[in-house]
Amino acid sequence: MKFHVNRDVFSEAVSFAVKLLPQRTTQPILSGVLLDASDGALILSSFDYEVSSRTEISAEVDEPGTALVSGRLLADIASRLPNAPVMFSTDDGKIAVSCGSAKFTLLSMPVEEYPTLPHVEDRTGVLPAEDFAAAVSQVAVAASRDDVTPVITGVQLEVGDNSLSLVATDRYRVAVREIDWDSGSGSAQGTTALIPARTLSEIGKTFAHSGTIAVSIVHSDDRELIAFSADKKTVTSLLIKGNFPPVKRLFPEVVDNYAVINTAELIEATRRVSLVLEREAALRFSFSIDGLTLEAAGSEQAQASETIDAHLHGDDTVVSLKPSFLLDGLGAVHSEFVRISFTKTENPNKPGPVLITSQSSKEQPGADNYKYLLQPNLLLR
Amino acid sequence: MSKQDGSGRQVTVDPSDDLTATILHVDMDAFFASVELLEHPELVGKPVIVGHRSSRSVVTAATYEARKYGVNSAMPMSIALRRCPQAIVLEPHFERYTHFSKRVMGLLGEVTPLVEPLSIDEAFLDVAGARRLLGTPWQIGTRLRERVFADTGLHCSVGAASTKFVAKLASSRAKPDGLLVVPRAETLAFLHPQPVTALWGVGGKSEEQLQRLGLRTVGDVAHVPIDALRRALGPANAARLHELAWGRDARVIELGRDEKSVGHETTFETDVTDAVVLHRELLRLSDAVGARLRRAGVQARTVSLKLRFEDFTTISRSRTLGEPTDLGKRIYEEARALYDAASQGGRAVRLIGVRGEGLSGAVASLGLWDDDEQWREVEGAVDAIGSRFGAGIVRPAALLGETPRRRISGGDD
Repeated sequence: MKFHVNRDVFSEAVSFAVKLLPQRTTQPILSGVLLDASDGALILSSFDYEVSSRTEISAEVDEPGTALVSGRLLADIASRLPNAPVMFSTDDGKIAVSCGSAKFTLLSMPVEEYPTLPHVEDRTGVLPAEDFAAAVSQVAVAASRDDVTPVITGVQLEVGDNSLSLVATDRYRVAVREIDWDSGSGSAQGTTALIPARTLSEIGKTFAHSGTIAVSIVHSDDRELIAFSADKKTVTSLLIKGNFPPVKRLFPEVVDNYAVINTAELIEATRRVSLVLEREAALRFSFSIDGLTLEAAGSEQAQASETIDAHLHGDDTVVSLKPSFLLDGLGAVHSEFVRISFTKTENPNKPGPVLITSQSSKEQPGADNYKYLLQPNLLLR
Repeated sequence: MSKQDGSGRQVTVDPSDDLTATILHVDMDAFFASVELLEHPELVGKPVIVGHRSSRSVVTAATYEARKYGVNSAMPMSIALRRCPQAIVLEPHFERYTHFSKRVMGLLGEVTPLVEPLSIDEAFLDVAGARRLLGTPWQIGTRLRERVFADTGLHCSVGAASTKFVAKLASSRAKPDGLLVVPRAETLAFLHPQPVTALWGVGGKSEEQLQRLGLRTVGDVAHVPIDALRRALGPANAARLHELAWGRDARVIELGRDEKSVGHETTFETDVTDAVVLHRELLRLSDAVGARLRRAGVQARTVSLKLRFEDFTTISRSRTLGEPTDLGKRIYEEARALYDAASQGGRAVRLIGVRGEGLSGAVASLGLWDDDEQWREVEGAVDAIGSRFGAGIVRPAALLGETPRRRISGGDD
């Protein structure tokens, strides 16, 4: 194998190929990046049986062939090469990389032992990359990080009529957003896919500036996976098995009792007042016509409170919320103001959840349809 | 405290609906002497001293009748017999005291796993979490005293308050055979008239120093400028006494390192290989563990299974749950899965046990939904029926036809 590539193009391709590789792997061979040179093109790919990445760049190929090298090492080298064309050649199990006056010799791992990447053909639909990246970052905050219950460590994608909804929950909160989706000539409505939140977050960032992303969801007997591709880049991920809880029905239809607050002010005040809280403790939020008062009972040594402006519609309301959960929602609304709505409940042992949505001004609800539902704690006094 | 003869006794007779006095101090009345009297019922009501009848030995314990003559524990026997010549002296039997202590601590453990034994005959309990199922601290204390007497024939006194210090003081004031509830709002009214010796750690020298400052009651100590206390007692002691005198005592119930679990186990009369029988036993044990968790108002994060095979090899396996639970059904599901994975092809089992570990108090954060909501209602209803008509009245269908058996052993060890 022997080829020349542009340094910047190569460096970008390697960093894409290794991004989803696990930090540690049980089989060293899975930490490699497969280089496949043929017909004026170089294909770089990685696969750890869960997630695969594959990209194609143009290259001047003198001699076609394949090689498998350590992904992290190759990415480190590629990012520090001098500004000159890069030349690769293999010789007797060694890979020689030269760029300007810099030369590296790397050990090639056995290509024949490397697993075949999953190949996905049928396209399920396409979606706008920028909205998708934003939606993933807004929703993934609510996913559980506890591997004890795998189904809620994922983000659930549900194809609707010209829309795709993303849902995540950790039992304490649920985040949902819908974005545009085009199934093309086919009908994919009702198709679902549950993807590990960590993987999906990386995928969102990777494709954020790619225009549109093509998505393929495969549910067959032997495999369940999803593929995202754009710009000659493809990422696949195995789906999490199991049924995602039907959390969408937890959202209320209409809520008359709500308050509108400046998002940045609420974030600042919440961070300040929660300084005196013990870990896992909740803040008390009292909404009235005079504004919103935040109170932290804290310990014997320290208490704190602060009052900020709030425009309350409906009854005075007091809720107890865990500050980190609230901050996750506030950080995800992406709007100058935020609407906090109070749902009613019949259950005396469980306060009604609060709903956080965006608000572009004091009067005007936000244009996106992001919703973050949070379960308050019991009021202790 | 000072005289230990029951004079100046204070008790709460009427049911108190106060919910703030959630720390209970349980203290056996004249424990060693009472245990000895179980063997000598004819001596009840007479002055009895426990100890060796030699002039060089000391009094181990004395009944309240003997204490009225000025006999106290740790007093030289010669002085005790001079004060109360008609006293009957009994030899101590320490193994009996240990036996009864364990039985009493076991009964306390049925109220809540949050038990902190202080010595052989006294312990603190935190019943804040047990309120919903067992009622007010007054009800819990009353029932506990009845239960201890019914099971052992021994009397105990219980003090209930919002802090350990006041609870211990309350039990000493309730003695003998009494219950005193000191609601948080009445703490200072109860505390301030008490003599300074009522303060934890005051006696001998420090008592003298306080007397020299003219401080005779806890209220005096509370109101004296803390600088004056510092000069007399040093900064650390002064601060501590000042806090105690205002009824402030932040100490919580401390459990032994391995006591944060609730478990039950069964040793079979003959070894069992039948998985159906073992599953059924797991269901029964899991239900018992769940009921105890609920009664204590705590939840377990980890379920562990213990298996002892016919050759006495013992294994234990545990699994951590996504959400802490107090439900027998959830515990059973995990215990059964653990058994199925560990059964080693149906080897004969001699002992099987289920334990809930990683206990925590009431749920920190409420979930938006609860998969076990219906089961929670079912098991809550079973608890309610059990507490009125006796445990085991309502059981899972798989356990019907069995008579409630007395071969469960186990506890908070």
